[in-house]
Amino acid sequence: MRAVWLLMRRGLNEILRVPGAAIPGILAPTIFVLGFAVAFGGLAGLAGFTTSDYVSFVLPVGLLQGAGFSGGAIGVNLARDLEMGRFDRLLLSPTSRPSLLAGTILSASLRAMLPATLVLVVALLAGASVTSVPLLVLAVVVTALFAIVAALYGVSLALNLQTQSAAPLMQAGLFAVVLISSSYAPRPQLAPWLETIADANPVTYVLELTRLAFVDHANAWSTVWPGVAALVGLMLALALVVALSLRRVVAR
Amino acid sequence: MATAIHTAGLCRRFGSTDAVDGVDLDVSDGEIYAFLGPNGAGKTTTVRMLTTLLRPTSGVATIAGYDVIADAGAVRRLIGVALQQVALDPLMTPRELLELQGALYRLSRAEAATRRDDLLERLDLADSASKRVMALSGGMRRRLDLAMSLIGRPQVLFLDEPSTGLDPISRRAVWAEVRELNDSGTTVFLTTQYLEEADHLAHRVGFINGGRISLEGTPETLKRQMGQTRLRVRVAEGQRGAAASQLAAFGHVQSSDSDWVIVALRDGAPAVPAAMHILHESHVSVTDVDVQQPTLDDVFVSLTGDHLAAPGAKA
Amino acid sequence: MTAELRVVWLLAIRSVRQALRRPQMLAPVVLLPSVFLVANTGAAGRAPSLPGFPPVPAFLDFELPGIILLAATLAAVPGGTALALDVERNFLDRFLAAPMPRAIAVTGRLAGIGLVGSLASVVFLLAGVLFGMQLQSGPLGAGLIVVLAGLTAAGFGGLGAAIAIATGKASYVTGSFPLVFLLLFLSSTFFPAELLRDPGATIAAGNPLTWVADGMRGPILNPGVDLQTTLAAFGGVAVVGVIGAGSAYIALRRRLVATA
Repeated sequence: MRAVWLLMRRGLNEILRVPGAAIPGILAPTIFVLGFAVAFGGLAGLAGFTTSDYVSFVLPVGLLQGAGFSGGAIGVNLARDLEMGRFDRLLLSPTSRPSLLAGTILSASLRAMLPATLVLVVALLAGASVTSVPLLVLAVVVTALFAIVAALYGVSLALNLQTQSAAPLMQAGLFAVVLISSSYAPRPQLAPWLETIADANPVTYVLELTRLAFVDHANAWSTVWPGVAALVGLMLALALVVALSLRRVVAR
Repeated sequence: MATAIHTAGLCRRFGSTDAVDGVDLDVSDGEIYAFLGPNGAGKTTTVRMLTTLLRPTSGVATIAGYDVIADAGAVRRLIGVALQQVALDPLMTPRELLELQGALYRLSRAEAATRRDDLLERLDLADSASKRVMALSGGMRRRLDLAMSLIGRPQVLFLDEPSTGLDPISRRAVWAEVRELNDSGTTVFLTTQYLEEADHLAHRVGFINGGRISLEGTPETLKRQMGQTRLRVRVAEGQRGAAASQLAAFGHVQSSDSDWVIVALRDGAPAVPAAMHILHESHVSVTDVDVQQPTLDDVFVSLTGDHLAAPGAKA
Repeated sequence: MTAELRVVWLLAIRSVRQALRRPQMLAPVVLLPSVFLVANTGAAGRAPSLPGFPPVPAFLDFELPGIILLAATLAAVPGGTALALDVERNFLDRFLAAPMPRAIAVTGRLAGIGLVGSLASVVFLLAGVLFGMQLQSGPLGAGLIVVLAGLTAAGFGGLGAAIAIATGKASYVTGSFPLVFLLLFLSSTFFPAELLRDPGATIAAGNPLTWVADGMRGPILNPGVDLQTTLAAFGGVAVVGVIGAGSAYIALRRRLVATA
């Protein structure tokens, strides 16, 4: 457990000791939320849009993007450790293999709170609203868990590719999967081909679960359980991939 | 003989640190001059000033008569530079890099192509000309770096620790190339931590320490003046004391943890037969003998009291 | 002068080669704009029905120039990153020790970034046509868009180069890309300037990127090339170019003085 905690703290070092390296991940989600609100806010005037408050509608995108960047950074750092041979040093320790990664992956959830806080504060100042406190807490928890999903994705790529060159794949991949969902508009408003993609994209359900905290929904429960199922499903599937990938790395 | 490199009172200060503190040197045309010194002595800083990459704080430096500040452009046309860290783009091939370097040195396309092919052949890189730098070994990258420094047929070539990181075979290949360049008239100014390299290549050696030149001369003169031939004898068990007391008459007996007795001969190699005769007369049973000529390390030790520990080399 | 031009050309080719040999460097230039193209056209496809939206055959026709502009501005990221690596690896010293004007290291890099931006614009124009976009002004309009994209990329490249030279760290260059998005959102890149939510609309009116975006959009939506819009677009490019390239040359000069 101590090893897990220490590795979790190490995962936060980059932000604490090299702030310049982490600024994009913290600032970018807020810029995107404000940018989307300014650029696409007019979409809320279209018939059938679920709210006239576009800032609130798009706020969850910022939360998940921040979580995505935080998790992706964990993957990039692991790829760097693998490429430089630093991970081999960890493998030589008596600490269990899963513990080595657990702490690092878990640090993503803490790391994600930085961009999340900034997004929330700025969006609220820009006029976004909260539907209820319990749902806001749920949104924050979902954000933290999505950061773990993102970290698992990044770590699985890092273990398989073992090169920092995969960094754009990690960051851009997560960025893309958040955008090609109901990020800009409710699913029924999307072009049919994008609606099909969004329906199949598990992140859509996670996003809509988060959105409950900021946009009223007639039947919240019908959004909660698919979101939770998607989140849990992603975590389990990616955790399995990570476990198998780690076994392969250790066995070579 | 014309002067290729001249400095007078050359200084470079970084903040409150004098990295180079009044270097005076003259290197003649066609000379190989080795600049020796430990890490942080000021070697690289001196090279960077002479190659117009760094502005001196004070003092004068000229290359073939051209001032490094006032006539920097003219200086750059005359020099070739291979810095301590190989400066290569890992994504490019040797062919592409040499083509670019040729263009930077204002060679026409045809001239650059001819020169490129010639250098690739000379430095044994022809077979790897189309491979990306990231796929080349350390030795090949060094040779490529050297090739790039030669593209403009420099009058004066600056090599900053050219052998660092090379295996002995690659190192000797670089030495051979430097000697060949010098034979064709190129003045070479090289910095090194490898005493053997300076000993092997240089016409003259300058020792720099703490930003100043402490000693200068040909390797032979310096070794003769400041180093001593050492006689090492291995004797039978229990006879070390006897051997040491007999050899004390010939010079300073150095302590040794092994069964070797070492004496720095005051009168040099001619004293060896007499020393061996005395041991024989004293019934000291010698099982092995070795004569070590003075090295530049001896010179450095007598200057600084410490060995110059080259990377990976024994002091 | 010929020798200098040849070096600039070789450095420009070098930039393109670097991008092609490290495909992940193309992620900001191709992948990210593609994601935006997909998401924007799929989500905002009904936007042309909004009151005040300019008449367009489809939202793709409106959006694609913005995506090209996005790609052009983001070309600064791999270009600046590569220059930062040149600084880290002492490759920049090769230019500084050569008998060439020292600014050529920057000029060549900007030319390369411009070339990458132009190539990206060709890719997206072809993609647009493939997906049904109608390029009303034909090859002339396409050529204008490619030129504007290249010049904009070079201008923004100057900002990336300035950061690279000043810091010598690739991470600082990549860290700057969110700010590029800020400038783009506050322009008519993704949505008509008049329909942006304030203060976006106000800022967009004076944002040079609005003039560039509109200048790229004109040839797609209208037959022929409108002189006023085109001149405004080049004006926008000039503003970006002066600020960007100026910053880069100043950064180089500062570096030379600092190491002097």
